[in-house]
Amino acid sequence: METKSTTMRKKVILFIVTMLLLFLSILASLRVGAASIDFGTIFQSFFSDQTIKDYLIIQDLRLPRTLIAIIIGASLAIAGAIMQAITLNPLASPQIFGVNAGASLVVVVGTIILPSISPSALVYFAFLGAVLGGSTVYYMASAGGGTSPIKLALAGITVHLFLSAIIEGLILFHEDSTESVLFWLAGAVDGASWGDVQVIWPWATAGIVIAVISARQLTILGLGDDMAKGLGQNVVVIRLLLSLLVVLLAGASVAVAGPIGFVGLIIPHIARKLVGIDYRVIIPFSGLLGSLLLVSADVLSRFIAFPSESPVGIVTALIGAPYFLYLARKGGKRS
Amino acid sequence: MKKKWYSFLLIVVFIMVGLVGCGTVGGDDESVNKEKGSASGDTVTIAHEMGETKVPANPKKIVALEFSYVDALAALGISPIGIADDDDESRIIAPIQDKIGEYTSVGTRKQPSMEIISSLQPDLIIADLQRHKDVYEQLSDIAPTIVLNSLAADYEQILDDFQKISIAVGEEEKGQEVLEAHKKRIEEIKSEVPADEVRVVLPGVVTPDGFFAHNMDSYTGSLLESIGLKNAIQDGSDRYNKINLEQVVEFNPDVLFLMQAGEKTVIDEWAQNPLWENVSAVKNDSVYTVDRDTWSRFRGLISSEAILEEAVQQLYGK
Repeated sequence: METKSTTMRKKVILFIVTMLLLFLSILASLRVGAASIDFGTIFQSFFSDQTIKDYLIIQDLRLPRTLIAIIIGASLAIAGAIMQAITLNPLASPQIFGVNAGASLVVVVGTIILPSISPSALVYFAFLGAVLGGSTVYYMASAGGGTSPIKLALAGITVHLFLSAIIEGLILFHEDSTESVLFWLAGAVDGASWGDVQVIWPWATAGIVIAVISARQLTILGLGDDMAKGLGQNVVVIRLLLSLLVVLLAGASVAVAGPIGFVGLIIPHIARKLVGIDYRVIIPFSGLLGSLLLVSADVLSRFIAFPSESPVGIVTALIGAPYFLYLARKGGKRS
Repeated sequence: MKKKWYSFLLIVVFIMVGLVGCGTVGGDDESVNKEKGSASGDTVTIAHEMGETKVPANPKKIVALEFSYVDALAALGISPIGIADDDDESRIIAPIQDKIGEYTSVGTRKQPSMEIISSLQPDLIIADLQRHKDVYEQLSDIAPTIVLNSLAADYEQILDDFQKISIAVGEEEKGQEVLEAHKKRIEEIKSEVPADEVRVVLPGVVTPDGFFAHNMDSYTGSLLESIGLKNAIQDGSDRYNKINLEQVVEFNPDVLFLMQAGEKTVIDEWAQNPLWENVSAVKNDSVYTVDRDTWSRFRGLISSEAILEEAVQQLYGK
């Protein structure tokens, strides 16, 4: 009884601390930029209809950018957590699983074939690509029965490289749009507008809510297939539905911001380390941590090559790649 | 510890600046001297970005792997046999198309076709440092290759490269004449810019999802500065910067020259945003859409004159 209440208290404290940090990073994200705008003005801009330059910068540029970072950070982190649960594989993430690369490829093809396509329609392209990429990797990794972390990593990296090669080929032959596409491929939120927020929020909200509701199933899946079947779960159907959820979350994110890597890989690990193995806690906590990571990374990205914008994906890769190597060194064992 | 780092960095920077300085200054002198000294034989030795190359005197069949070399050759009255025209003839701007005859496309500038180049049996290949550094050996196996810096050049460098090209193709005297005429023309155009011009300009390529600003060191930026039109971006490590609307508002250019890539660009999106109205150029109705090939891809004497003529025409209606 004693221990249960202390771990409960620990979790509550962790949630509060993370929320505080997220709040601070949001403030930083609203504050840092080419124009120097103080907190007083930022605060006032929320209660004013005036079209003063500083107010507009906050309301129409920095606010949607920050919201996009929050939404996508949470979506990618939760997508990663779900993937790691359904594949029982600590190396699973939308990136390693070919979901990001698949979505990117189809989005790039879409923009080349239909240059005037609207962003809201691109989301469906991204979903399609996410399904293709993810199922190809899963199919390859499960060939010969069972998906070991190593088989998954090999299949994932192979498919990822294959799809990336096709993307590069396409870019070479369509030089006109090279700069933009390359920037987008690194994963960027700098150009986010209210339009982007409108595109992503229905998908992201639906995805996150469903993820929280199905957290119990995830915990049971985490016990292994035999145990889950024993507890009366239809493992195959649940896996399929949850995979669709990953496609929803990761696909919508890629459509808006490009394939931002590593958020979906490292956040669920950190979450598990901090709050334990119960997915009813892991899912919302991963979401919070993912938002925190992406908003902070986006603030950092503004300093890399000032006055140029750097893609936020560069920052998450700088943080994420060493962590991935650390995981690999640990032998890819489930933490 | 921190101090140590800084001094180390400083030393590295000094060495690099020194090397680059020596490289260009020494290189130029050398190429001229060698030309006079060793032109007696059948070859001329040209010092360039990747070493020295023996070029046959008066090469006839020349392949140009960047548009600025096409511009230079056209200015000298030479038609290249092969051009990396990105498989799109329409990228050759009209004033240059008039000057050059039939040519063979050797593919994209980024990935020129080695097969087509070698089938042309050229006497000389002119390549770009950034784009073709890695295929220099391959190109050299096909024909004598000189590597210049077009993609990352500013206006001054373009003039230097023009001279180098004129020497390499055995037209040094004509090169001097053309250059003098060009400088005179630029002076003429410059005289149309009032001495008290205070407006700052910002040229940039606009694509479907980005505004790529060309700062004061970029080719277009430095060219406009040479006639007294100051660039809105006076710092930044890169010559081409992807900037967002907030930064455009902050740099607040009085004149925008937009090189449009694609039908729908980020400007269509920005125009919906009330912030766009805050940009001085928009307020003054001084946003001009210009041809990207002329303004950014060609980087040569002919296109420089075309750019400045258009700029002055737009700004002063002359």
